[in-house]
Amino acid sequence: MKTIHLIKPDFLNLKMDSPLVLASGILGLTASSMARVIRFGAGAVTSKSFNLEWRKGHRNPSIIPFEHGLLNAVGLSNPGVDEMVKEIRLFRQKSEAPIFASIFGRTIEEFAEVAKRAAEARPHLIEVNVSCPNVRSEFGTPFGDSPQDTAQITRLVKKAAGDIPVSVKLGPHGPGIGLMARVCEENGADAITAINTAGPGMLIDIRVRKPVLSNKTGGISGPAILPIAVKSVYEVYENVRIPIIATGGVTHWQDAVQMLLAGATLIGVGTAVYYEGMEVFGKINKGIEGYMRENGFSALKELRGLAHE
Amino acid sequence: MQTFPIQKIIEHGPGVKSFYFPKTFDVRAGQFVNLWLPGVDEKPFSVSAVMGDWIEISVKRYGPFTTALMECREGDYLGLRGPFGRGFTLQNNALLIGGGIGIAPLRLLAQELNVRGLRFVSLLGAATAYEIIFARDFQKQSVCYFTTDDGSMGKKGLVTDDLVDIIAKEKIEYIYAAGPEIMFVKTKELIDPLGLPYEFCMERYMKCGIGICGQCVLDDSGLRLCVEGPVLNRDDLKEVTELGLLHRDASGRRV
Ligand SMILES: Cc1cc2nc3c(=O)[nH]c(=O)nc-3n(C[C@H](O)[C@H](O)[C@H](O)COP(=O)(O)OP(=O)(O)OC[C@H]3O[C@@H](n4cnc5c(N)ncnc54)[C@H](O)[C@@H]3O)c2cc1C
Ligand SMILES: Cc1cc2nc3c(=O)[nH]c(=O)nc-3n(C[C@H](O)[C@H](O)[C@H](O)COP(=O)(O)O)c2cc1C
Ligand code: FES
Repeated sequence: MKTIHLIKPDFLNLKMDSPLVLASGILGLTASSMARVIRFGAGAVTSKSFNLEWRKGHRNPSIIPFEHGLLNAVGLSNPGVDEMVKEIRLFRQKSEAPIFASIFGRTIEEFAEVAKRAAEARPHLIEVNVSCPNVRSEFGTPFGDSPQDTAQITRLVKKAAGDIPVSVKLGPHGPGIGLMARVCEENGADAITAINTAGPGMLIDIRVRKPVLSNKTGGISGPAILPIAVKSVYEVYENVRIPIIATGGVTHWQDAVQMLLAGATLIGVGTAVYYEGMEVFGKINKGIEGYMRENGFSALKELRGLAHE
Repeated sequence: MQTFPIQKIIEHGPGVKSFYFPKTFDVRAGQFVNLWLPGVDEKPFSVSAVMGDWIEISVKRYGPFTTALMECREGDYLGLRGPFGRGFTLQNNALLIGGGIGIAPLRLLAQELNVRGLRFVSLLGAATAYEIIFARDFQKQSVCYFTTDDGSMGKKGLVTDDLVDIIAKEKIEYIYAAGPEIMFVKTKELIDPLGLPYEFCMERYMKCGIGICGQCVLDDSGLRLCVEGPVLNRDDLKEVTELGLLHRDASGRRV
């Protein structure tokens, strides 16, 4: 099977058939759901972000489509680490593909505790969500806006994770994503996931004359944020040597190729499932492969970062 | 999100009402919409009928959202988006089994079957007479069997009590069911031995309604009820291991 070989990524020695990763928060609550995403062509999956205790999250409407993307303030609802450890174990029985456990904490210490518990399930990577924009009212400014907090969280999680590699998920805002990525690398991160949702943004209903999201504001994802994501990945690539899981607005294979040229090793896909259905993974795989053949590339890494001088 | 004024409200009895909204999209029986009550919440509801330029949604009071909905008046603006999911296929010689407010999606199904000239029989049950919404419309279109818990209409008992006899007597070849999960479990037990094909219109806690949050995904199949459902057929259900068992709440915990 030459096809599959062509788009096999080289990411932290993990065995993957595609560079596409299901982004956190999309279809990532259960093993059954994530295993189905693999059957549609993703190379790996990321779980929904979880912390120690289960959370209900914000009331609906919590996810609403607009012309160029989605606005969401799910509020980090999750069933808690105990349930998610079970689901990650179950996924590992069901599928050979790697699973990334996305974790968060309300405090710096909680990040370390959740990482330790998550590691029990032996995920292939722990992704540290320091950049959720939707829980400001509850947790205050995201830790990802502070280089000091992010450094400390990276160190603590890295220690708690043992031999499991750690990626830190950054947002497009804050003190500069290049700087933040450097801070993560210096403190032991094995990869950077960029980006989380952008904004926050707001949409107002003109008849009811109120914000539509129950949380009023929410993170923006989908096609609207692709240029922000491409630029963020480009900037991270200029600043660090560790691999990048490039996420944000990737809907078509051309978007994925842009990410590779900007410096991606893996590509996160989330909101595109809304626009293109579950078939989106297969479609992007095929598109990348076609592009590589047409242009004489024989490995993904030959494309990586080509847009840089 | 688009918001629309409620055009009309019908009260069937305490805590059971139908609401009418302007029709801005085509919808098939079994598909659902999300209703947004500003300041309260947003929840999924089946479309129970299409009448000219209106769509009808029929609701039973359960908790905070449906209670607030019962307070709404004609002219109030509600958000309404959809239609979501996959509806029923249309088959001949079918039995429509409805339990409680599960009768709502079957009302639109009856309309669709009727238009196509397909024969069907209705078997509808609820706690009490007024909860069998639009019973007279069903009677105009089909042979009907009714059951109520209190005996106020039709036979006293459960909708599944005489199911097997009715299937034989009415020469039923296809089953549609909508209602509480326990009704599906019983129905399945009774009809699986008969080898009849079926479609169930199911419910799960929903957030996005558009297939991305994962809240409504069924074990073990990984099917998203909001996209691949809410109507599932016999083949889909073969891989669903959670029928009648625990399912997930807003946090995603199994409760
Ligand atoms: C596809 C679908 C079609 C439906 N069609 C109808 C209908 O035509 N008429 C009708 O009266 N009801 C229908 N429902 C159920 C309706 O969504 C619930 O009655 C409503 O959400 C209850 O909210 P509440 O705050 O009043 O009660 P709660 O106390 O919050 O809940 C009562 C019950 O509704 C369920 N429920 C609560 N929130 C949700 C949610 N966000 N998504 C799904 N289920 C939820 C709970 O699990 C519980 O069993 C449908 C549900 C689904 C999934
Ligand atoms: C509904 C929804 C829920 C999300 N939940 C999470 C989450 O729990 N943790 C996280 O790190 N990112 C979360 N994200 C962000 C995505 O993982 C991704 O970074 C972002 O949506 C941009 O990618 P996309 O445009 O491909 O969706 C969520 C996004 C959406 C749309
Ligand atoms: S409700 Fe979100 S995937 Fe079905």
